[in-house]
Amino acid sequence: MSQFIQFVMTRAFLALVTLLTVSLIVFTLMELVPGTCAERYLAFKNTQGSQITIADIAAEERRLGLDRPFIERWGKWVGNVFFRGEFGDSCILRLDINQLLADKFWISLGICMAALILSYMIAVPVGIVAASSNNAVANNSLRFVSYLGLALPNFLLALIIMLFSTVFFGDSLTGLFSKEYRDAAWSWAKFGDFLSRAWLPIFILGWSATAFALQTVRALMLDEIGKLYVTAAAARGVTGSRLLWRYPARHALGPVINSLGFDLNRIFNELPIVALILTLTEAGALLFESLARSNDQQLAGAIIFLLTASIVLLNFVTDIMLALLDPRVRRGMMG
Amino acid sequence: MTTPLISVKDLTIRFRTDEGLITAVEDVSFDILPGQVMGLVGESGSGKSVTAKALMQLNAGNTRYDPASKILLDRPEREPLDVLSLKRDRDLRVVRGGAISMIFQEPMASFAPAITVGEQMVEQLLIHTAMSRVQAKALSIEMLDRVGIPDAGRRFGQYAFEFSGGMRQRAMIAMALSTKPRLLIADEPTTALDVTIQAQVIDLMKDLVSDFGMAILFITHDLGVIAQTADKVAVMYLGRIVEKGTVRQVIKTPLHPYTQGLLNALPKINDLEAELTPVPGDIPSPLDRPPGCVFNTRCPVAIAGVCTTQVPRYSEGEGGRKVACHLVERHQAEAVAT
Repeated sequence: MSQFIQFVMTRAFLALVTLLTVSLIVFTLMELVPGTCAERYLAFKNTQGSQITIADIAAEERRLGLDRPFIERWGKWVGNVFFRGEFGDSCILRLDINQLLADKFWISLGICMAALILSYMIAVPVGIVAASSNNAVANNSLRFVSYLGLALPNFLLALIIMLFSTVFFGDSLTGLFSKEYRDAAWSWAKFGDFLSRAWLPIFILGWSATAFALQTVRALMLDEIGKLYVTAAAARGVTGSRLLWRYPARHALGPVINSLGFDLNRIFNELPIVALILTLTEAGALLFESLARSNDQQLAGAIIFLLTASIVLLNFVTDIMLALLDPRVRRGMMG
Repeated sequence: MTTPLISVKDLTIRFRTDEGLITAVEDVSFDILPGQVMGLVGESGSGKSVTAKALMQLNAGNTRYDPASKILLDRPEREPLDVLSLKRDRDLRVVRGGAISMIFQEPMASFAPAITVGEQMVEQLLIHTAMSRVQAKALSIEMLDRVGIPDAGRRFGQYAFEFSGGMRQRAMIAMALSTKPRLLIADEPTTALDVTIQAQVIDLMKDLVSDFGMAILFITHDLGVIAQTADKVAVMYLGRIVEKGTVRQVIKTPLHPYTQGLLNALPKINDLEAELTPVPGDIPSPLDRPPGCVFNTRCPVAIAGVCTTQVPRYSEGEGGRKVACHLVERHQAEAVAT
């Protein structure tokens, strides 16, 4: 047991190191964007009619601390993020990023996680049973539904559902909140309202994710079922669902768990398109906006860092799950 | 006469595939008496493993057993049980780890990698006996100790990947024997092991079998191993038994050209200059079984017009040995005539 705690501590430490490295990379990328925050803000003001001089820019850079060495600036940024949870001000809007993001990031993450969990909760049992079943009709219809999930672009699916909903229910299902809750503070009623709308993006993102995960689970299961240890277990008299779940299923799950972190990233990347059509206010759209349109490196950096941190955290959790499931992993990781 | 422990009668096994029905085993019959070691010899693809798996109905879902085939398992004070008539998995437990146990060629691959060796042993005992978990654990450790695994108590809680190759096969034997089966099927149990460990494992199996009084069906492609272990032997080729008899008869005076070929292909340790003479040609595809005698495409002494058209009957020899060969039949007829 103490060995396991030691293992968890080691993984946690490594996750922290990864996070620090990620922060360095993200910070470097922010710096690589041509121009500094000071130039960008003043240039923006320029378009509003003010006259800007080189001296103004230099003064602004000094004020923002941009004249300090790179490592010092990174240290300050990372320190604020780690210890105070603050990302500083947005370049252009001059607003606290935390205030600007508000719930948006957590809503995005919540939607993505919900889609991820939903898809695995469906894909794992269904994939395992499908791989072991000889029922051609069930298998083929499952394949049809899952290929549909893979082949149908998310935005098209979103449009189709919107169209149906508008025609039949008179509600386009867009947005994340009904009018009356849009600016209200969080409450159970608001949360309920959120759920009544959030199921749609979760469903849309979840379908393709389920289809994807289902293919993985099925392929891994078919691989495991043919292995000798399954025959050997059958030869010892192990039967029925015990033979299925304890032997091939358990051993097929390792790589499936491993793919969770990767899948979260994929779903997050798909979210903005769905969000655009359903006019959701979430962080993915804000990320594209800040990256592509306004060049707001501070804001973009904050969102990218939050996303990668979520993935690092998820990978930490899956590492522990994997170690609980497979002694070889436990052995390999603990040395 | 003793009742055979297991009696295989006219076993014919076909696989349904996309290319059509493939015959893997045809008209195979043999008996194994209690305490007897029977060798089943043949090249890969000869149907020996399929035959063995049929005793436990372990062949894949696309397997079709011919309705006339019978595999009869002797039961104390009851009618023999026809294994092939068992349909439900629950009923099959009698022959899966109960009265019959099996060990496989790859000891590493036959243990589930993420479950401890001990846990897999206990599971089997809980299925087949009325033991409690504690009793099952005690017996498992005792069995591991019995097969010569040092520090068995600690090994019980380890995984197969923490064992060496020879130790894995020992553990596999310990597991197979723990339920005290009356027949042990050993499917090339030593092929994946070093020669020295091979000898140890074979000795171990022989000892345990005489201690426990069980029979063995020993499957191998290695006639040398058979000579050391078995009482009688059946030689299989392309799904058919071409020759069977006691080990002494078959190895000293092989009658079937295929058995002769197999013996000539063995290296001779006391005559290093002697050239190895492999059986010419390759085993034909089961999709393309030769008509007549299945061996006629590779037989050096095939009789034109006979071997390619007629399936040879079994000629009886002294001591109950049987050979399916037209040439032998002809010789016997000539001997009777003169």
